[in-house]
Amino acid sequence: MSVDTPQTMTDGPATVTAAVPRRRGSRRATLIVGCVLLGLVVATALVSYFYLPYPPEQIGGGRLAGPSPTHWLGTDTLGRDLMSQLMIGARIALAAGGGSVLLGGALGIVLGLAAAFAQRWLDDTLAAVLDILIAFPTLLLAMLVVAARGATLSSAIIAIGLAMSAVVARLTRILAKQVLSEQFVVAARTSGTGWLGIIGRHVLPNIWPTLAVNLALQFGLAVLAEASLSYLGLGAPPPNASWGRLLQEAQGTVYTAPIGAIAPGIAIVALVIGANLLADGLRDVFDPARRTR
Amino acid sequence: MTSYLLRRLALLVVALLVAAGVMFVLLRMLPGDPANALVAVGATPEQIQQARHAIGSDLPLGQQFLVWANQLLHLDLGNSFINGLPVGPQLAQRMAVTIPLTLIAFVLAVLIAAPVGFIAARYSRSWVGILFSSFSQLGIAVPVFWVGILLVWGFALSWHVLPAGGFPQDSWADPGAALTSLTLPVITIAIVMSASVARYVRAACLDVLNSDYVRTFRSLGASFGSAMFRHGLKSVAVPVVSVLGIELATTFLGAVVVESVFALPGLGSMLVTGIAQHDYPSIQGVLLLTTLIVLVVGVLADLTQRMLDPRLRGGSR
Amino acid sequence: MHSTSPTHRTVRSLSVIAAVTAAGLMLAGCSSSGSGGSSADATLQVGSIYEPQNLDNTAGGGQGVTEVLNGNVYEALYKLGDDGKVTPLLASKYTTSDDGLTYTFTLRKGVKFHSGDELTSKDVKYSIEKVLAPKSQSARKSDLQVVKSIETPSADTVVVHLKQRSISFVYNLSYVWIIDHTAKNLKTTEDGTGPYTVQSWKHGSAITLQRFKDYWGDAPKTDTVVFNYYKDATAENNALQSGQLDIVTSEQSPDALSQFENNSQFKVNDGNSTTKLLLAFNDKVKPFDNTGVRVAITEAINRKALLKSIWNGYGKVTGSMVPPTDPWYENLSSVYPYDVSKAKSDLAAAGYPNGFSFTLDTPNYDPHPAAAQFIKAALAKIGVTVTINIITPDEWYTKVYQNHDFVATMQEHVNDRDVTWYGNPDFYWGYDNPQVTSLIDQAEQSTTTAQQTAKLKQANEIIVKDAASDWLYLYPQIVVAKSTVKGYPVNGLNSQFYVYDITKG
Repeated sequence: MSVDTPQTMTDGPATVTAAVPRRRGSRRATLIVGCVLLGLVVATALVSYFYLPYPPEQIGGGRLAGPSPTHWLGTDTLGRDLMSQLMIGARIALAAGGGSVLLGGALGIVLGLAAAFAQRWLDDTLAAVLDILIAFPTLLLAMLVVAARGATLSSAIIAIGLAMSAVVARLTRILAKQVLSEQFVVAARTSGTGWLGIIGRHVLPNIWPTLAVNLALQFGLAVLAEASLSYLGLGAPPPNASWGRLLQEAQGTVYTAPIGAIAPGIAIVALVIGANLLADGLRDVFDPARRTR
Repeated sequence: MTSYLLRRLALLVVALLVAAGVMFVLLRMLPGDPANALVAVGATPEQIQQARHAIGSDLPLGQQFLVWANQLLHLDLGNSFINGLPVGPQLAQRMAVTIPLTLIAFVLAVLIAAPVGFIAARYSRSWVGILFSSFSQLGIAVPVFWVGILLVWGFALSWHVLPAGGFPQDSWADPGAALTSLTLPVITIAIVMSASVARYVRAACLDVLNSDYVRTFRSLGASFGSAMFRHGLKSVAVPVVSVLGIELATTFLGAVVVESVFALPGLGSMLVTGIAQHDYPSIQGVLLLTTLIVLVVGVLADLTQRMLDPRLRGGSR
Repeated sequence: MHSTSPTHRTVRSLSVIAAVTAAGLMLAGCSSSGSGGSSADATLQVGSIYEPQNLDNTAGGGQGVTEVLNGNVYEALYKLGDDGKVTPLLASKYTTSDDGLTYTFTLRKGVKFHSGDELTSKDVKYSIEKVLAPKSQSARKSDLQVVKSIETPSADTVVVHLKQRSISFVYNLSYVWIIDHTAKNLKTTEDGTGPYTVQSWKHGSAITLQRFKDYWGDAPKTDTVVFNYYKDATAENNALQSGQLDIVTSEQSPDALSQFENNSQFKVNDGNSTTKLLLAFNDKVKPFDNTGVRVAITEAINRKALLKSIWNGYGKVTGSMVPPTDPWYENLSSVYPYDVSKAKSDLAAAGYPNGFSFTLDTPNYDPHPAAAQFIKAALAKIGVTVTINIITPDEWYTKVYQNHDFVATMQEHVNDRDVTWYGNPDFYWGYDNPQVTSLIDQAEQSTTTAQQTAKLKQANEIIVKDAASDWLYLYPQIVVAKSTVKGYPVNGLNSQFYVYDITKG
């Protein structure tokens, strides 16, 4: 998906098996570093509900003050504390990532399962539609959603979630069809187990590890997508301190006050790397066969 | 092969038509009046009505569609609501920026990604491999516009070695000037794109390296490189090519953000302006063109894969 | 009838706003020719962010049309100078009848259009009627509704009959380009009488002006002038820094200026613009129908600090709609100075001791979002809660301007002499003070400009006293040029930018 950035969301086992034989130590390190980075951002977001160095909208630190003991990361053009804004931004980034994954995941899994169980012609049609949807620019989708609903965080989440659902649906469909063709499932079906039972007892338990890994990756991509949208002015409106918007505002003053254009970028990278490492770590945990190869 | 190609082409045309129709309706469902972009704030209701009439947005939707469809049949994309000029030549002008930008960045990304991914796989158990893996791990986590901002800060604002943005007014009349203005945008895209391609190259290399065939070959004393070159290359290329197709398409579509950072007059910025101004003919033109390119790239990637891997030629998609 | 027509002048063409904010155009590396020497055959490279949508100022071309063409390619009967004064241009003189309803203009002799045709009274009649035509999108249309009929008794005499007295008539004519009545395709080509012709237009990047050999007046100082269009200021400034540009018509942000301020190769000019940033209340709805509330809001916002945040020392707080280049200008920023405690007591006296909440419809392009956040923080101190609602120019036009469906909004108003809008009770901000309406009407009916000036001063003082809007600040007009470049206009009146006196040095 992520058409607003050259990164792609079609990053899953369906295309390439990212089999990675690694030493046990580096595997564990991946998982730990991922959790730590993610945990840092989550903790920052939680702390921001109880403590902020300054009210994020308070004006008065002086125009573009540099980092100092009173303002750790300095201030923006309006004289607001950058650290406080960055902390608020953690909430927005997590909400965007989490919200999109919830929406895109739920919708995608339902669609994917439906396609897998459907008649041949319906399945083919759905698969073709999904292919087209995946080629549809997320950014354009976001613009349409924004034009219809206004530029808000929820518009961004809806747009990203919708785009993501197509990717998740395609993956779910492929995985579910693999499971459905297994002998034991065919046997269960002929012995009269209903489709709900098949899904609950056979399909989901077999596909969820791969799905979880993919959703963790999608989380990172969703965070990037929201940052891009905010950068283009299509995300949460001011004074919501979305990291993408902070970068957009700081771009014009990068020469005089570089810190404002550096700090939010580092925050985004930390969160996305955290999610990606977590995904890698999970892949190893869920797939011991691959681990021992 | 021929029948396969024909089928793909037929599918392509159908998909294009469907996309065009859906886009036409979707755009007109949005709130907002294209005439607003044409009138000054002092406009009277009759001036607004006049503006609507001038661009034909006062016609019923069905009639508007027929007008547009008829133009399309004559290979005419219509005129921009805003400046009244034909959309086709404007698209051509914009493509002169976006297509070189995407293609050069793509080639550069592949040139970076191939060795990086290969080394990351070859030395996957040493610190060299981990270092190269970390590069791609980092690269896929950076927002592309942030890379752009940092490059502008360094190369344009601090050291004044490259322009911060823009494109020569006479386009490619002076190729040196055009390439100079594309340098930073190209590097920006290539950094991010190569990171993600490198991961696939690494994974594909690892699969091949661990295959019994290559193992056997190496146990017979062949060097790593020749084992890889003589026997593994095709196996690596097949999965990577399928990813490259998607990468190229998304990069092309994603150029809008990079064009925004570097103020490039490309297709992306034409689309963003068009949407802000409700300039439907321009939006439709860009979308039709990008959809076409994405679909064609998809077909090309498929064909390349088939040529590399005869097993795919026989049967199902 | 000017006081009943919906509006007078353009706030700013929305299409331009969209073009500038959204994205699009732009360029850099223009292959600059000639380096210094005598400027007669030099090429002047001008940088701007306002590319016209088309070349016709009666077809919604946007403010970029004025910038590149007004006075350079097209001329009017009268010229509005950089100092705000109106002087004869294509008309050599005029007389008025005693009742002020008949103007007789004598045209300058020997004026040729770029097509080679002689200027005649027919062209003048055609040009005025073009602005008044049903399909005209001219922002000046309503101002000229006062014209009843036009006669052309001889080739160099034009007689205009008015429906009522209009002291601004001659001034308004400075916006009516005189166009060859046989000209076609005015959206993409031109046929004016100015010192320059349009040689080429590369959409999305540049318009090239070439000296007109048969120009009636003094030859322009530089042969070729290229207007290079940029989508954003960063690219524009970089082109100036690297020598691709000689001059930039109006800087949009102060942060890039540091690279020019301390550099003797460049000169930064801080002139007066006519653009005001307004916090416009809807004076017809609660709570802003209450003058006390508007006063309290005005006192609660530190306009100097806001200006400093956004323009870092450039610009002016003038405290009213009237820019310094208008004849009736006076600085009224001390009527309601920044005073939080007084704001609190005024708010309580107006019946809101505990404050209130309102939604601020904020256009999505700079500087509105930043200014809105500043206002939100400032008003929080007097217990007023602001919800910022970011809207597109298109939404602004429909929701605020046409439907008056808003409580408060922000907007930049670019034109000179636009305080008269406050005399129109149907204008979007709904300010309705019969005394002001009558004063503005009387001003237009004045027989002398002194009388007009006195009336408008009086009206403006009442408008400010009523705190009809909060005039946050007057934009600076920052022209940055190479220090060798001379002869450029430093004030930005309605975005016009005369290039004919500029030399590269």
